[in-house]
Amino acid sequence: MQSGILAVAVREIKRIAVSKICIWGIIVVPILSAAILIYMMSAGLPQKIPIAVVDQDNTSTTRALVRQLDAFPKTDIKFKSLSFREARLRMERFEVYAILSIPKDFTRDAVSGQQPKLVYYTNNAFFASGNLLFQDLKTISVLASASVGLKTALAKGFSETQVMPVLQPITIDSHVVGNPWVNYSICLNTSLLPSILQLIILIFTVSAFGSEVKSRLGSELMRIGNNNIVSVIIGKMLPYTILYLLVSLVFMSVLFYYGDFPLKTGFFPMFLAYLCLILGSQGLGLILTAVFQNYRMGLSIASLLGMLSFSITGFSFPVEAMHSSLQALSYIFPMRHFFLIYVNQALDGFPIGYVAYHFVALLGFALLGLLVFPRIRSFLEFDYEE
Amino acid sequence: MRKLLIDIYYVWREEIKVVFRDPAVILFFLVVPVFYPLVYTSFYNNEVMRDVKVVVVDDSRSSLSREFVRKVDATPDVKIVGYATDMQDAQKAMWRGDAYSILYIPSEFSKNLHTFKQTKVQAYSEIRSMLLYKALPLAVTDVSLDMGANIRVEDVGHGSQKQDESSMQAVVSEWVPFYNTTNGFASFLIPAVLILIIQQTLILGIGTLVGTHNDRKTFTIASHAHIGKSINSVRLTLGKGLAYSLVYIVVSVWVLRVAPYLFHLPQIGEPMTIAVFLMPFLLASTFFAMTLSYFVSQREFAFLLLTFTSILFIFLSGISWPWTSMPPALKAIAALIPSTPAIHGFVKINTMGASFEEVWPEYLQLWVQAVVYFILAVFMYKWWIRNYDPQYEGKLPEKE
Repeated sequence: MQSGILAVAVREIKRIAVSKICIWGIIVVPILSAAILIYMMSAGLPQKIPIAVVDQDNTSTTRALVRQLDAFPKTDIKFKSLSFREARLRMERFEVYAILSIPKDFTRDAVSGQQPKLVYYTNNAFFASGNLLFQDLKTISVLASASVGLKTALAKGFSETQVMPVLQPITIDSHVVGNPWVNYSICLNTSLLPSILQLIILIFTVSAFGSEVKSRLGSELMRIGNNNIVSVIIGKMLPYTILYLLVSLVFMSVLFYYGDFPLKTGFFPMFLAYLCLILGSQGLGLILTAVFQNYRMGLSIASLLGMLSFSITGFSFPVEAMHSSLQALSYIFPMRHFFLIYVNQALDGFPIGYVAYHFVALLGFALLGLLVFPRIRSFLEFDYEE
Repeated sequence: MRKLLIDIYYVWREEIKVVFRDPAVILFFLVVPVFYPLVYTSFYNNEVMRDVKVVVVDDSRSSLSREFVRKVDATPDVKIVGYATDMQDAQKAMWRGDAYSILYIPSEFSKNLHTFKQTKVQAYSEIRSMLLYKALPLAVTDVSLDMGANIRVEDVGHGSQKQDESSMQAVVSEWVPFYNTTNGFASFLIPAVLILIIQQTLILGIGTLVGTHNDRKTFTIASHAHIGKSINSVRLTLGKGLAYSLVYIVVSVWVLRVAPYLFHLPQIGEPMTIAVFLMPFLLASTFFAMTLSYFVSQREFAFLLLTFTSILFIFLSGISWPWTSMPPALKAIAALIPSTPAIHGFVKINTMGASFEEVWPEYLQLWVQAVVYFILAVFMYKWWIRNYDPQYEGKLPEKE
């Protein structure tokens, strides 16, 4: 029988091909997750979030205001003729996520300079809905103020061309670099999917060695690898690396080609980032295997780190807002480095030199993995007990 | 009837012993639920992003533009870290990570404001996170409305104090964020995460138990019946399910009551309402986990098979991407998972202070799930006994 690095790789490919769990975990799970998450956020921004308007004035002015609000894509006015109590009850039942309250005599007070007050209530137990609706409701209140101001200013003898500068002397042009639509899918899926990949790599790297030890195949594996731990580990890891790269290519094509997500610096830097993420995560997986030398314990810690990484990478709640010790801790997760490369390369389009450090860090995880080879050898030659 | 109860009691008692003898299961059922709520809350405990770093390019260099920048700096969400000479310079600061946003004030800023012309400032933000990009535009909008109002009074001429106020702002408005008044991230996300921790640790723990029996080929003992007792799959499912649920009644008190209390998260729900609401959730997620455990063929496989579901379940629950905007097909899938109605109901009671009537639909849905997953779990055990243990049919063999 053949031996050496190639023999180990061939053996591993056969093992993967007949293992339902490998096919499920490495191929089905990433594609299933991608399908669900991308389909969920395919609208880009949540549309038509239901709200209620309590219009106690009900004049042509307020009705025009309400129509204007209804025309915003994010807002869907579901109820117009409720009392505030009823509206509040609908909010508690999740039927509406915001209430706009227009006071009695709003129109009369506005024109006569009594400064009536629009109050809008949002349900911030739902962060996204609450904040998106806040934007629309804030805009409509500013517009309301402006339209009344317009009438007053015209009455005071300002000409049409003078009115706008008077109403709004300072305007603001807001540019969001890389994602001007503030598309949720671009914000989340580009980081969620690689995070899922990292989780898979961590647990399957541990299990690649753990399952050998559990089936007492460790010594046989060493024999096939000519008792050379380097060829054993490289030969074993290589088929996975290629599989993960294929999964990454699927992700990249779905996101950046079919989804047309921004990718400012082009294909290659992003591909390189995925490759480094894979190698770095495999390195971290090897470190966990070597440190714990126990299949189940290694898997527990790998899942723990993999799950924490969804939070500490900072694509939902920014790392910059976390405690400084957590900011430092975030760098032991390969995903954090990948995320920073992604933001800088795909969204901002910075020169790659500014994120070279993160590429080095990812490769550093892979190199650290090399250091623990002797420990993995002793794990493989160890008898399974549990 | 009496025999039924005694059989269930034996299964229950034996299963409790199995749970507390296995370090892997103790890890899932006790250690993880104790520490995960603390770990996750500590991530998000700062609740909001303050002092987003901004670099300014001020081409106007006037007293008005300096006042503008000063006012922007004074808002809580933004911090001016420095001035750049031009846009290239500012961009480099962004590349180096010294700033996340750029505020550009044009050279005609002051001149325009003094000559009845509109002026436009530019805000450039990086969108590495949803919370980071909006800090500068929101702060600048507030400051420009505020400063603009003062300038407008100068423009239209002073009158009485009341008239001035009215020309500053014809209509005032107020934002009242309900339920999560600081608009904090932890207050919004953690209640959902806590519910999910309960469900997912149940799934992993029960998966590990079933995988262990598969490993050891101890299918017969897996029924954990008293010697000679005949245990069918219904009794097995009930006895085991009650054992797990009972452990989790205790666990839930810590996860849902004590842990959020320690971090001062919103907790305005009636504890009794939460307790009543929780019962069908614990049963539903226990039987859901027992159903899924059918697929766990080795002790360690629960991780490989099911860890990733936590991410999908939290997104499917509609807490992040709004439930109302979710495609109907995904809503249908989400409705099958116990965590979905449980998160909705728990947020309603715990965060929004809803009474039992408001969570009635979710409560009902959880009971339906509990019954359906119970039936599925029974089939799982039936299949198990038939395939692995036809000889004994769930009885423990008499010792010879």
